[in-house]
Amino acid sequence: MSDRSTDRTLLSIQDLRVSYPTPEGPCAVVKGVSLEIARGERLALVGESGSGKSVTARSVLRLDSEARLQGAVRLGDQNVLEMTSGQVRRLRGARVGLVFQDPLAALNPVKTVGWQITQPLRLRGVGRREARNQGVELLERLGVADAARRFDDYPHQFSGGMRQRVVIAIAVIADPELLIADEPTTALDVRVQARVLELLSELAQERDMAVLLITHDLGIVAGFAERVAVMREGELIEAGDVDRIYRSPAHPYTRALLDAVPRIDDSPGRRLSGGSGPAPRRSAAGKEEQ
Amino acid sequence: MTATTSTRSPLKALSVLRAGGRAARHGGTGIVDRAAVGVAGCMVLLALVGPYLAPMSPYAVDLGAALQPPSAEHWFGTDVNGRDILSRLLVGGRTTLLATVAVIAAAMVVGTLVGTAAALGRRVVDEILMRICDIGLSMPAIIVALGLAAAMGPSLQSAVIALAATWWPGYARLVRTLVREVRDAEFVESARMLGVSPARLVFRHVLPNSLSPLYVQTTLDVSAVMLVISGLSFVGVGAQVPSAEWGAMIAASRDTAITAWWTVFFPGAAIAVTAIAFNLVGDWLRVRTDPTLKTGGRP
Repeated sequence: MSDRSTDRTLLSIQDLRVSYPTPEGPCAVVKGVSLEIARGERLALVGESGSGKSVTARSVLRLDSEARLQGAVRLGDQNVLEMTSGQVRRLRGARVGLVFQDPLAALNPVKTVGWQITQPLRLRGVGRREARNQGVELLERLGVADAARRFDDYPHQFSGGMRQRVVIAIAVIADPELLIADEPTTALDVRVQARVLELLSELAQERDMAVLLITHDLGIVAGFAERVAVMREGELIEAGDVDRIYRSPAHPYTRALLDAVPRIDDSPGRRLSGGSGPAPRRSAAGKEEQ
Repeated sequence: MTATTSTRSPLKALSVLRAGGRAARHGGTGIVDRAAVGVAGCMVLLALVGPYLAPMSPYAVDLGAALQPPSAEHWFGTDVNGRDILSRLLVGGRTTLLATVAVIAAAMVVGTLVGTAAALGRRVVDEILMRICDIGLSMPAIIVALGLAAAMGPSLQSAVIALAATWWPGYARLVRTLVREVRDAEFVESARMLGVSPARLVFRHVLPNSLSPLYVQTTLDVSAVMLVISGLSFVGVGAQVPSAEWGAMIAASRDTAITAWWTVFFPGAAIAVTAIAFNLVGDWLRVRTDPTLKTGGRP
C-alpha cells in the first residue's frame, strides 16, 4: 500500500453528472459536481435531503445500476466510471469502504457478526484463523466489550450503537484508503452518535484513511471534518475549511443551514429561512427530515 | 419476517406442546422436536437397513397363512397372499422413502434455481419462467404424472421422474416470492459494496435468508408426495405388483380392509408416522434456521 502514487490526492471527482431514466425522460440529480479528497483527509458532504449528496458519494462505487453517470471519478490514477464491473467489484471493500445509515438493515440477519466482519478478508484469500484474529482485534478496538465471545453472536443480539461498530468494522477491516460514511449516525441517539464519530475519526487517523462523511446534520460536522462541502439541488455551492465555513459562510444557503442547527435557546416556532439566496424550488424542502 | 409465519402454521398446537416453557418460547429443541427428529431418523435408517432386518421374505406367498391377524409369528399379521406384513413394511420403506425424497429433492433443486433466476433475472426471463410455472400449476399433478409415467413405461423410476417434473413449479413460485422479498434488502446491497461476487451474493446472502419457508414446505410435502407415489403405484404406473411399497400395499388390500384391518392399518400407520415426523422436523428446521427465534426475541 505504501508504494502507491505519492500524489496526496486520493479521490478526484470532476464535473460529475448523474441522472436517472424516468418515463418522462432523464431526471438530473447531480449537475456537475467537482470535488477532491486528499489521502487521510476527512471531508463532510452536507446538504438537505434530495440535494444529491448520497448519489454523488455512491457514484464513487457505482452503486446504482440504473444511474447514468457522466464526468470522471478518479481514484488514484484510475477512472472508476470507465472500469469494467469486475474491476469495480475488486475496488469495493478493498480500496473504498462504505458505512450505511441503518446498522440493522445493513447486516445479514442469518450470519454471525464475525462471519460478516471477516468476509472482506476471506474474499481476498486470508485464512480463517488469521481473519478471525484481525476481526476480534478490530472489534475490540471499536470498543465492543468481550469481542471474542460476541464474535459468534447474531446482529439482532447487538444494540444499535454496537451494530454500527460492527458495520464500521466490516467497512474498514480490509484497510480501504477511503471510507464513505452515508449518514452513519442518523439512526443512533445523540451520545452514541458522538462516540461513533469519535471512533471513526480515531480509526481514520490510525490507518491514514480518508473519510467522506455524508450528513444533513451540521451539528456533528464541526468536531469531525477538516473540510466541508455543501450541496443543494445537485450542485456544489460551497466548499472550504470547516473553520472558515462556520465562521464566515460565503453562500447564503450555507448560512441558512448553519442557522438551522437546533439550539437549546431557540424559539420552537422557528423555520429554516431561505436567507437571501434563491428560494428552494420545492416548498418547505428544508424541514421535512427534521 | 419469518417469525410471523409460525402463527399461521397448522402445527401451532403441536409446537405449543413442544417441551413447554423455556424451550418453546426460545425456539429451542424440545422433547417433541427430539422425538420427531428421532422418528424421522429411524425411518431413514430403516430405509437403509430395513431389508436386512426383515424376519421373512416379503414376497414369499403362503396361501395357507393368508390374512392372519397379528401374532407372535407375524407381528403385523399377513396379507391376502399370506405374506408377512412387517417384512413387507421393512422392505417397502426403502422404496417409498427413497422415491419420496428423490421427488422432493429434484423438485426443490429445480424450483430453487428457476425461482431464483426469475426473481433476480430480467423481466422477460421472469415472465417466461413464471408462465411455464403457471402452465405446470394449472394442471393436476397426478394426471400429468400419470401420463408422463405411462409414456416412459410403467416403473417406479418413471413415477419419480414424472412426479418431480410436475412438482417443481410450486417451489419455483414460492422461491421467487421469497427471494424477491430479500433481494433489495440493504444487507444485500452492503455485501455487494464489499465486492462480494454475484454467485456468492445469491448463495451466501440471499438464499439463506429466503429459504426457510421452503424447508418447511418440502417437509410438509413429504406426506403428499408419498400419497401420490402410492396412488401412481395403485393405478399401475408406479411400483409394480409384487414389490412392497407402502402405498401399493394399502391399495392392494382395499378388499380386505374391513375384514382384516391389519392389512391397511400398518402400512397406513407407517405413512402417517413418517409424514407427521417429517412435518415436525420441518417446523423445527424453520426455527433452527431463523436465528431470531433460536436465540430469543429482538432486544
